[in-house]
Amino acid sequence: MRNIGAIVIAAVLLFGCAERGSDLPRLPALAGEFPAEECSGLFGAGGRQFVHSIDFSMDRGYGTTVVGITTLEPAGIRCALLSVEGFTLFEAAFDRDQGLSVLRAVPPFDAPHFAKGLIADIQAIFLAPPGEMRPGLAENGERICRFTAADGEISDVILADEGCPQIRTYTRDGLLQRVITGRDCRWSDAGLIPRYLELRSYGRSGYTLKMTLLRADETT
Amino acid sequence: MKRIVFLLVLCCLCSLFVEAFAGNDAQPFRLHSIQARFVQEKNMEILARPLVSTGSFIFKAPRSLRWQYHQPVPSLLLMHEGKVRKFVGRNGRLVEEKGAQLDGMQMVLAQLSDWLDGRFSDTEMFKVVSGDAHRLILEPQQQGMARLIASIEITFGENRALIDSITLREGPEATTTITFSDRILNEDIADEVFTSK
Repeated sequence: MRNIGAIVIAAVLLFGCAERGSDLPRLPALAGEFPAEECSGLFGAGGRQFVHSIDFSMDRGYGTTVVGITTLEPAGIRCALLSVEGFTLFEAAFDRDQGLSVLRAVPPFDAPHFAKGLIADIQAIFLAPPGEMRPGLAENGERICRFTAADGEISDVILADEGCPQIRTYTRDGLLQRVITGRDCRWSDAGLIPRYLELRSYGRSGYTLKMTLLRADETT
Repeated sequence: MKRIVFLLVLCCLCSLFVEAFAGNDAQPFRLHSIQARFVQEKNMEILARPLVSTGSFIFKAPRSLRWQYHQPVPSLLLMHEGKVRKFVGRNGRLVEEKGAQLDGMQMVLAQLSDWLDGRFSDTEMFKVVSGDAHRLILEPQQQGMARLIASIEITFGENRALIDSITLREGPEATTTITFSDRILNEDIADEVFTSK
């Protein structure tokens, strides 16, 4: 319990008040274009549930493993975290109109900002980024689908000829927030589904999620 | 998380209790150890279909436990002489999670001797609220625990000699049912089984 508590506290620091280091990679400039159609169909529309084994590790050395359940619905997201023994540690629902509702949170998962941060990570991993999309080429030749949200945050989806696209999110100031890398992607009607995902979050309290897909189910 | 440890051991302890009072003899036999396999089915409203785990456990009186999940997420919990070690499968091998569940272990061990003596109804953590030849319902004694666990139901086999299953209710729409099989009683088990993976 102490172990998990330390992780959650660190995560709260990250989501709540993390300072961004000046040495983090910055948003790359784009020059040139490629067909916008290549950026479509990467993300599903909903009606899908994923169950992952999640190894959570902080840069400071803390870590634990949980089971994550993520349900993508047309109206929003439902998610839960279970211990590896199957006990419900956290459950929440996010509705696009009504916002975030925490249905169950066993201490220390009831810490402020934890739910908000978790939903933000889920949105970054599973949903098409918000905002207008513009395709462009990076200096190194990467084909990037760049989404700019209304609040100025930017999400780059870097296409790959084979394999899984990579997602990088940046603050409105252009500093790198997180990198999401998938492996062993399979096409489905829910978009590209990676068998393995790794989310690396940067900042003062950086952390890494290593997610192994246990199963994917249709829910509608 | 410490509640999890408690629940895992509860399963063993309930088995021990029933086994210890099984049979037709006037004197209950003394149980030294039990080994069994289990299937655990988790149901939640959010789940499109139940989450099924399989595993096995070994218990040796008075306070040694090896509780292991084989699928879908390998993990191992070892308890022996007041020490708890937890391992989780990573990259194909079990890696120890340091510093976990120490508080929970103290709580669990406090319960252990009570249940071995058959004291279900007056333990610190749970009370028996109803029961018959085939079923026992426990509810938390303490408000803190009641926020996490609504009740625990234990069902017995037809001859009452063996426990069939244990159902943990976290709430109206979240249950975890553990069904036991392939029990082996009173074999000699080395202490090393409870100290190393």
